[in-house]
Amino acid sequence: MADAPAAGGCSPQQDYPTIDPTSFDVVICGTGLPESVLAAACAAAGKSVLHIDPNPFYGSLFSSLPFPSLPSFLSPSPSPSSASSSSSAAAVDLRRRSMYTEVETTGEAPEPSRRFTVDLVGPRVLYCADEAVDLLIRSGGSHHVEFKSVEGGTLLYWEGGLYPVPDSRKAIFKDTTLQLTEKNLLFRFFKLVQSHIAADAAAAGEGEGEASGKLPDEYLDLPFVEFLKQQRLSPKMRAVVLYAIGMADYDQDGVDSCDGLLSTREAVKTIALYSSSIGRFANAEGAFIYPMYGHGELPQAFCRCAAVKGALYVLRMPATSLLVDEDKKRYVGIRLASGQDIMCQQLIVDPSYEIPSLDMPCTTPVSNSPRKVARGICIISSSVKRDSSNVLVVFPPKSLEEEQVTAVRVLQLSSNLAVCPPGMFMAYLSTPCTDAFTGKKCISKAIDALFTTKASDDLEGHSETTSENNTEGVKPTLLWSCVYLQEITQGTSGTALSCPMPDQNLDYRSILESTKKLFSDICPNEEFLPRNSAPKYADDDSDSSEITR
Amino acid sequence: MASRRRMLLKVIILGDSGVGKTSLMNQYVNKKFSNQYKATIGADFLTKEVQIDDRLFTLQIWDTAGQERFQSLGVAFYRGADCCVLVYDVNVTKSFERLNSWREEFLIQASPSDPENFPFVVLGNKIDVDGGNSRTVSEKKAKAWCASKGNIPYFETSAKEGFNVEAAFECIARNAIKNEPEEEIYLPDTIDVGGAGRQQRSSGCEC
Repeated sequence: MADAPAAGGCSPQQDYPTIDPTSFDVVICGTGLPESVLAAACAAAGKSVLHIDPNPFYGSLFSSLPFPSLPSFLSPSPSPSSASSSSSAAAVDLRRRSMYTEVETTGEAPEPSRRFTVDLVGPRVLYCADEAVDLLIRSGGSHHVEFKSVEGGTLLYWEGGLYPVPDSRKAIFKDTTLQLTEKNLLFRFFKLVQSHIAADAAAAGEGEGEASGKLPDEYLDLPFVEFLKQQRLSPKMRAVVLYAIGMADYDQDGVDSCDGLLSTREAVKTIALYSSSIGRFANAEGAFIYPMYGHGELPQAFCRCAAVKGALYVLRMPATSLLVDEDKKRYVGIRLASGQDIMCQQLIVDPSYEIPSLDMPCTTPVSNSPRKVARGICIISSSVKRDSSNVLVVFPPKSLEEEQVTAVRVLQLSSNLAVCPPGMFMAYLSTPCTDAFTGKKCISKAIDALFTTKASDDLEGHSETTSENNTEGVKPTLLWSCVYLQEITQGTSGTALSCPMPDQNLDYRSILESTKKLFSDICPNEEFLPRNSAPKYADDDSDSSEITR
Repeated sequence: MASRRRMLLKVIILGDSGVGKTSLMNQYVNKKFSNQYKATIGADFLTKEVQIDDRLFTLQIWDTAGQERFQSLGVAFYRGADCCVLVYDVNVTKSFERLNSWREEFLIQASPSDPENFPFVVLGNKIDVDGGNSRTVSEKKAKAWCASKGNIPYFETSAKEGFNVEAAFECIARNAIKNEPEEEIYLPDTIDVGGAGRQQRSSGCEC
């Protein structure tokens, strides 16, 4: 990495290439998922795009890193205060901030450490039927990434044990822990929601449609937890539906948590997505899929699509300042670490850059207390669920301790995703929080509930035998863990757009929603990654070969 | 199971900008050549059915999409390659000298299980230019380098005239087939959301 000594503007400029041309419609800094999707979308809309990244790899805050690179990414050495290359009146320095704080690591790094790939956005999955999948297909990005199922399904931590979430008719039927009345109520509830979803889909298809089966608005406007109570679901079944299927973040029974209260309308949408995800791909089990080699593959897929559409890519190229027009009203370009100035109509930067505010009316919604998410990354020796590779675990609020107001989600991944060597598992945890203490305590408690730590060496001798007869009672051994806090900022618009951060959600829906909004700011009249934007020889009639179907 | 993956061979073409990577692909797959140079736009990969010793394979040839210009190919591009083709321009010494770093870049990024024996093929392109008079890299020099890197097969080609292109790609295909599949992590249950990606569709995937 270019850790140039801050010795008066004499950075090793010979290492940086010169970019030609020097003017683009759009310049994008950072190759996180939102930036990469925007690059693909802008290129597909016919814009000329320059896409740069200071790192030697793709993904920025959405990367999957080789294990040895994680510490320096989470706690970067302070960047040399951008060796102000004759900071003219027409340029303002661009600074980077670290999004990660309170990084705490335990255990020894397992070997061979390069075979572990670490997500920065975990725990995260895609719904088989969600927009991220559609975007991949529409853009042609699906050629560059393959997935596997979270085939072990979802487990709910309830009364000190892990309970397999019954998410289908069959699963409810087979469940041996539920009483008959509980089963009937749950059946009835799902049937009610399913017929609403069907009616809703029919109505959407035809404008006016069958209203029968649709839930009345008075139900849809209810807090979802109230609706579930009306349906007489037991507390355990409510927890299943709220936290393990509806993916609510905050305690829905809490009196003062109006903020995170899930409405029936929202919840039903998530359930609809969940159920349309099941069975979408014949060889997918369950609703969730995970990209082989980690989430960092997704930005790369979109960057490749952008490149195929003509976007120019330059890794290892930091930006040092933003260029401003005469009136200091607009950003009109960017100064690269090479000293070269690139002009553009639109600047887009990843959220690790601080956009200096100009004398212009600020369209940036400034939130006074940034949201945070506490994340954990663990390497463990066996699976939390026997005979399952990839599993989601949900700790509903209050399941770890009385004061716990947020749900904790855990995603366990196996070597079949090529993210770790055989015989090992990765586990990602996250929970939204407002302060470091609460967030990290929650994560730690969840880690303790799921795994055991072998603190001393004298236990090593037993490890062989325990891992072999890994019965239900034996918890996986925690080999290594890292817990940290990440700030969450929203995407903001202006003459320089800032893209959204990886949020606390399990999926990309909200990030892609903001990304779409940013795109409509840049290209108000263009369709966002239209269906026919999958790459083919479009520019040369003689070359109309069949590449994609 | 293994046979399913082996039906499809991923070949990637590396080399400096302007050495003729896209032209070679186009000549081989489409039997076409365009003198007009444009940094690659529009090509993701080309596919061609090949028959080798009575067996049918699909050769999937991946272009760099211009991302090689500033050495900005992502690790995902290199993954799962069965053969790596290194191309240089016999009239540009620099492009020959850069073959070594392209080879090393490939081995680092793709990290094949057996780097010593991973199949490369080297193509010295544009031998037609100026009737060979502007040539700066001799065949001998190129062959010596190939020999020093574990006897990499070497071909001199002209994408423009179609010279030796067919033979080169047949060699590429044969070498790709020989590449033993890595651990069976691709199989049997990867989900290809696009329905027709780098993997042959498994039975009953149409839904």
